[in-house]
Amino acid sequence: MARVEKTVGTSQGKRLYDLPLNRDEGTGFLILLIALMSLLAVLAIAASFTLSAMTERWTSGLENRITIEIPAEGTDGRILGRDEVTALSDRALQILKSTPSVHTAHMLDESELTALVKPWLGSGLSFSGIPLPSLIAVTLSDAENTDMRALEEKIISAIPQARIDTHETWLNDLLRFTKSLRLVSAILLVVIGITTATAVAGAIRSRMAVHAEEISLLHLMGASDNYISRQFQHNAFVLALRGSATGTAAGILTLLLIGWISGQMGANLLPEFHLGIANMLAIAALPFLAAALAALTSRQTVHRALKDMP
Amino acid sequence: MIRFEHAGLRYGIGPEILSDISFTLDPGSFHFLTGPSGAGKTSLLSLMYLGRKPTRGLVSMFGQNINGMTRSQLAPLRQRIGVVFQDFRLLQHLSAFDNVALPLRIQGRPEKEVRNNVQELLEWVGLGDQLRALPSTMSGGQQQRVAIARAVITRPRLLLADEPTGNLDDEIGYRLLNLFDQLNRMGTTIVIATHNQRLMERFGHPRLVLDKGNLQVQPQVNWLRRKIEGIF
Ligand SMILES: Nc1ncnc2c1ncn2[C@@H]1O[C@H](COP(=O)(O)OP(=O)(O)OP(=O)(O)O)[C@@H](O)[C@H]1O
Ligand SMILES: [Mg+2]
Repeated sequence: MARVEKTVGTSQGKRLYDLPLNRDEGTGFLILLIALMSLLAVLAIAASFTLSAMTERWTSGLENRITIEIPAEGTDGRILGRDEVTALSDRALQILKSTPSVHTAHMLDESELTALVKPWLGSGLSFSGIPLPSLIAVTLSDAENTDMRALEEKIISAIPQARIDTHETWLNDLLRFTKSLRLVSAILLVVIGITTATAVAGAIRSRMAVHAEEISLLHLMGASDNYISRQFQHNAFVLALRGSATGTAAGILTLLLIGWISGQMGANLLPEFHLGIANMLAIAALPFLAAALAALTSRQTVHRALKDMP
Repeated sequence: MIRFEHAGLRYGIGPEILSDISFTLDPGSFHFLTGPSGAGKTSLLSLMYLGRKPTRGLVSMFGQNINGMTRSQLAPLRQRIGVVFQDFRLLQHLSAFDNVALPLRIQGRPEKEVRNNVQELLEWVGLGDQLRALPSTMSGGQQQRVAIARAVITRPRLLLADEPTGNLDDEIGYRLLNLFDQLNRMGTTIVIATHNQRLMERFGHPRLVLDKGNLQVQPQVNWLRRKIEGIF
């Protein structure tokens, strides 16, 4: 009896709905679905944020850097000696230093080269017997306003075998790749939104069918469409908020778990889930977004269904 | 207040339940609606409480032709009408209190006013100790009184009651009819569908008699007796 009094509302007020919405069948299912959709959404959002952070990290500063490689091999296929390579490099350095937009240009010495190849070849290696190419690291003062093509031509005309790596190609590939991944997660979010809205609309329609009698009674008492839809709206808002909050919490736990696992594996292969304050806020806003979406959808659904009533 | 002109009603493709109904009810009038079972009393009332539109002819309520009105235009008219349904149509999950409070809440009245008025009225109809009871735990007569309380709580301009005393003994039936009379004296137009001859004779209001889809208006037969009763 105590329970009945609480849910039914009494002379002291505190009656939630005119329709028994909070006791309907299928409520649990809807909450579960919204929770799962929210979990998916959190993962999609986090993936998108991580991709942004990753590209940011990979590309920051790279656009101002170019590398010039002078192979230890002449244009005729002859292996060049150390001195010859150095001479060619010096020529390249001269050209670079006379170019206004070049900020620094510096030839990597042997120890730097060793450090560079260490991850692949291991330490304790001596280059004394191997013909080594020479690498020149160049930083530009203003990459955007530098005529790369002209610079490239100037160097090639002096040293035909020089290879100039402006990072542009692989950077562009990488950017294109992450962009399409982010598009995928955006599409995923849209699909999640549509799925949620469809499920809410379906649930509302079946509830309206179940409560058709009560709704028509409210109607005969002069209740406006808004009065009736408000009840469904409020109910959907609360349900979605509950479901989405649960799902979002589960999503955040999943993220933490993934972060922990990738930390445990010590692998730098997995990108860390790097979420800043803004990203956290976006994720925290998800339940409210879901609730607003559910409320809006139910309002639309109710109004459309009511149009068919006398 | 209510004007029907050659109004007819059929359900779907069935026969015409009401055919060529024409009558006018003045504001502040009190009529009994009677006729054999299945004659169409409930159907006629449903036209008056704007639950349906006539399939032919004209129905005008509060001076407005309802045929062309939209749902949102009908809502304010419906708020001026109180209805006691033959089958009560109480909301089963709401307490007696909340059922009676419903029309006031729909009209957006302040909760304090709702609380006072509803409690007072339920006490008046003898349900003061049942405020929190659910309809399913109440007797037919008790439910009927809740339904009547719900219909009159807003002091409607028009009160339509379908067999409102069917489940009540004469004692409480008269008491409720007196309530209707009181409302009527304050200006509410009233139509009560009933089979109860004794009731109709005792109160003596003019009758609308439905038979085979046609309506006849019988003037107040015993107004003199009523006058005399009123003097003493
Ligand atoms: N919703 C409906 N759909 C189809 N036919 C209906 C509907 N409601 C009523 N009818 C038919 O209309 C006729 C009149 O019914 P109505 O309920 O208006 O009679 P009534 O005078 O109120 O009868 P009673 O005194 O038994 O309450 C009946 O033949 C009934 O079968
Ligand atoms: Mg009837």
